[in-house]
Amino acid sequence: MVTASDTESIQVEILPQRYLMPATAQKLLNAIYENGGITRIMVHGPNLPRSVPYGPAKGTPIEENRDLIIEVGGQAFELAVKVGRVRLELESEKYLPGLRAACERALPFTFQIKQGKFFHNRPTISDYAKYGNVEDKRILGLIDPKARKDKLAILSEEKVTIEDEER
Amino acid sequence: MAYTPQFYPGSTSVGINRRKHMSGNVEKLRDIPEADVVAIMGHRAPGADYSSTHPPLKEMGEPDCPVRQAVEPTPGAAAGDRVRYSQWTDSMYFAPSIPYFRSYWGAINCKGCDPGTLSGRQIIEARERDIEKYTKTQYDSEMTDVALCSMRGCTVHGHSLRLEENGMQFDMLARTELGNDGNVLGVKDQVGIPLDKKVNLGKPMSEAEAKKRTTIFRFDGVPMSGTIGARKPDEAVEMTHHMWELRTKWGYRPE
Repeated sequence: MVTASDTESIQVEILPQRYLMPATAQKLLNAIYENGGITRIMVHGPNLPRSVPYGPAKGTPIEENRDLIIEVGGQAFELAVKVGRVRLELESEKYLPGLRAACERALPFTFQIKQGKFFHNRPTISDYAKYGNVEDKRILGLIDPKARKDKLAILSEEKVTIEDEER
Repeated sequence: MAYTPQFYPGSTSVGINRRKHMSGNVEKLRDIPEADVVAIMGHRAPGADYSSTHPPLKEMGEPDCPVRQAVEPTPGAAAGDRVRYSQWTDSMYFAPSIPYFRSYWGAINCKGCDPGTLSGRQIIEARERDIEKYTKTQYDSEMTDVALCSMRGCTVHGHSLRLEENGMQFDMLARTELGNDGNVLGVKDQVGIPLDKKVNLGKPMSEAEAKKRTTIFRFDGVPMSGTIGARKPDEAVEMTHHMWELRTKWGYRPE
């Protein structure tokens, strides 16, 4: 019988029943952060443009979508999306029950936690065209290949920064 | 005996609601002032003149035509108004109306309009003073829940997305917001230009009420073919199969 190693990293996706307000997103991300064991994390959801992208009102600022600043683990950053799902890689399966408990504490409605494969581990052509040879493989799957410079996923861990440069 | 048109089949609440929408026999739930509807539509400032594409029909001198004599023009057409639009996005989370039934409502009940049905939005075009009247009717009636339906001229994204935490349909241009008193406020017009003052659209429907008034068949609401283990197709399914058969085999001409 083959037993799965309990030290292998796992990838999970948290899918709340509704889109999260910035305050709830902050609460959830902090709860996840406190649970520990995170290798990488991605927040996913529909884009919140800072100004009307097209139509007769093109360029009109959308004040509601500006300055959505949340603080996670002592670090502040600005939300550019409505938080709809959170994908993360955990160091091992032992962090999963804690993660579920953290979601139960932070979310006032139902949610699903799926375990699967959510980040790719080989660079795609888009990755190569945009970022060249990616040295730190942890950023794969964290970057929206269609995003422009100001919409890149942000990683705040050491050694995981990428050049903020548009190619 | 006067003929009473028959609309959609089925005895489920969804079938009954669909019949109501098609027949135009919809309940009036709120009364949004006309000036506010005009402001949200954003085509003209409330109180401003209507722009026109031709002089009033009476001044134009129409040709001698039996059809023109038989059909009375709508007020907008008689005045020569420009054609304008109003576009709706209805959430698939039990919004009372859906694009097809807004279109049926428009095509059956609104004179001189051109409804367009798309997967996630529905547009009606008509002469300006007519479309204002039709839009107000939609806003005031049970066809609209102010949290789950909104007028979106562009950036219509939202109908198939999950709802926001407060029960509102997601809108990346933030055209509506939920006030502290529980009322939904319109803060921008349908293309995203901020309004001079916020428009009170009233309270949203509760989840139970939205489910009661919806025209959407859903597995977690009223399913079209019953539940698993207790399949009971609605008459609407039978009708749809019948229509498909006629259309496929004989192109609607079974001679």
